[in-house]
Amino acid sequence: MKPLNEMREVAVGGIGVTKWGFYENAEWFDFGSEAILNALKDAGMEWKDIQAAFCGSVYQGTGSGHQAIKEIGLTGIPIVNVENACSSCASAFRLAYQTVAAEIYDIVLAVGMEKMPRGPIPSTAFRPWELKLGFNVQPANYANIAVQYMEKTGATIEDFSMVTVKNRRHGTLNPNARFQKPVTLEEVLNSRLVATPLRLLHCCPLADGAAAFILCSKNKLKSKHKAVTVAASTLTSGVYGEGYPPADLTPSLKYPAAMSLTELSAKQAYEIADCGPENIDVVQAYDTMAPAELWDLEELGFCKPGEAPHLLREGVFDLNGRIPVNTDGGLMSRGHPLGATAGGQIYEIVLQLRGQAGPRQVKDAKVGLAHAMGAGPNSAVTIFKC
Amino acid sequence: MNNGEKRIIPLTEGLYTLPASPDEKPHLIGSRCINCNELYFPKKEKGLCIHCQQKTLEEVELSRQGKIASFTIVLQPPAGGFYHGPVPYAYGYVDLPEGVRVETQFTGNFNNLEIDGDVEMVIEKLYENAEGDEFVTYKFKPLKEQK
Ligand SMILES: [Zn+2]
Repeated sequence: MKPLNEMREVAVGGIGVTKWGFYENAEWFDFGSEAILNALKDAGMEWKDIQAAFCGSVYQGTGSGHQAIKEIGLTGIPIVNVENACSSCASAFRLAYQTVAAEIYDIVLAVGMEKMPRGPIPSTAFRPWELKLGFNVQPANYANIAVQYMEKTGATIEDFSMVTVKNRRHGTLNPNARFQKPVTLEEVLNSRLVATPLRLLHCCPLADGAAAFILCSKNKLKSKHKAVTVAASTLTSGVYGEGYPPADLTPSLKYPAAMSLTELSAKQAYEIADCGPENIDVVQAYDTMAPAELWDLEELGFCKPGEAPHLLREGVFDLNGRIPVNTDGGLMSRGHPLGATAGGQIYEIVLQLRGQAGPRQVKDAKVGLAHAMGAGPNSAVTIFKC
Repeated sequence: MNNGEKRIIPLTEGLYTLPASPDEKPHLIGSRCINCNELYFPKKEKGLCIHCQQKTLEEVELSRQGKIASFTIVLQPPAGGFYHGPVPYAYGYVDLPEGVRVETQFTGNFNNLEIDGDVEMVIEKLYENAEGDEFVTYKFKPLKEQK
């Protein structure tokens, strides 16, 4: 196996995104193709320049990427659909990155898109007997992790609520976010209880939307934007012994995991990118439930276990803090379009490194990290440099 | 009603033993690996150990008592229409002394639930259908309130 850091450097040629929200009169192929055309325009490239396409989605069914690309035009290139739960777009992005790094193609498209099913969605991670026992409520799955985290670290429900408050505050500066209004600590603490101790405003909202990326070798770059390169793109799909209730995984008490899937994917990414958490200027962490952002930052190595709530209170993860986290408002503000979610994170990191994030720009951001997780389980870490 | 006779139906087969007489107690059925000693609940039907990949699993009856690892009171009905039990309900994990964590519902007074609290496995009704048939399942109940 050739080390990835010995392969050809891969640059982000173009990025495109749609507004995150509910599209009542449009399908995923409508906004999916919109994001692709936005990325193409941003890249200053022609549609015929694209040599392959990897398309992430979760609920759109067979050939969903083909449907989006048919809106632009079939050109004989291979189109591959990628379903990897909430890491679908990061997984599609990783495949595109690998084929350019391996010099199989020079210019490749990665897209993530989702029109979320209307009404409640049963998770396919659970077996029929577990569904009959009501084990498949995601906030309840996370509540079980949260109460153990509270027991271990002394974190409080106020700490969890402050994650929502911070991310919704950041979201006010993101014109593409589904929610652009801030919330107060009191509003979070008084929102409807879903699964003790978690309340409605600890859960990220759903959304529809798409994000697209054109990855290329550096000599194929055409746009005038500051060149951003992919420093690492890793994917870990579960480790033995780790418990992860949202993916229906009970931990092994006899053979507990030495390293969590998040820790493993981060370790691999830092090695490939030849940097450490101390070198990261901006982070998009996985805040599908508010408390998850805290243990996510710990497992990604930004602080010691149990330290995140304290640092959050100190403002370290604020837009103007030492380690700005979820600068576009995160899932809490953007919403969660499963197959596109990781694309929303990647889009923000590229924007920040280019210096194009407008009022939410992090000063001198040179290295950024995006982390997507989710059922499967999967953990996808993508690091960018400029 | 079935001639006034109420049927008692396990929600799922194969998760626990049913007592044959009032003196016997129900047990959860798990798998133990005779190669690496790993334990599983529920039992692995294929007999393959997912830790050491050997076909060396044997069926075991698990301890009836354990400690609460975590719990939550769920106030939102589960999606998909598979769940017919009451809402709110208590859901979480119990650690059994032989070294296996079990995903479960809890029963009894929710106020008696606490992390590390002692619990005992019981068989209890989850819901009743229109014909009056009772669907039963394993659950764990705090020992505190049984005194
Ligand atoms: Zn074994």
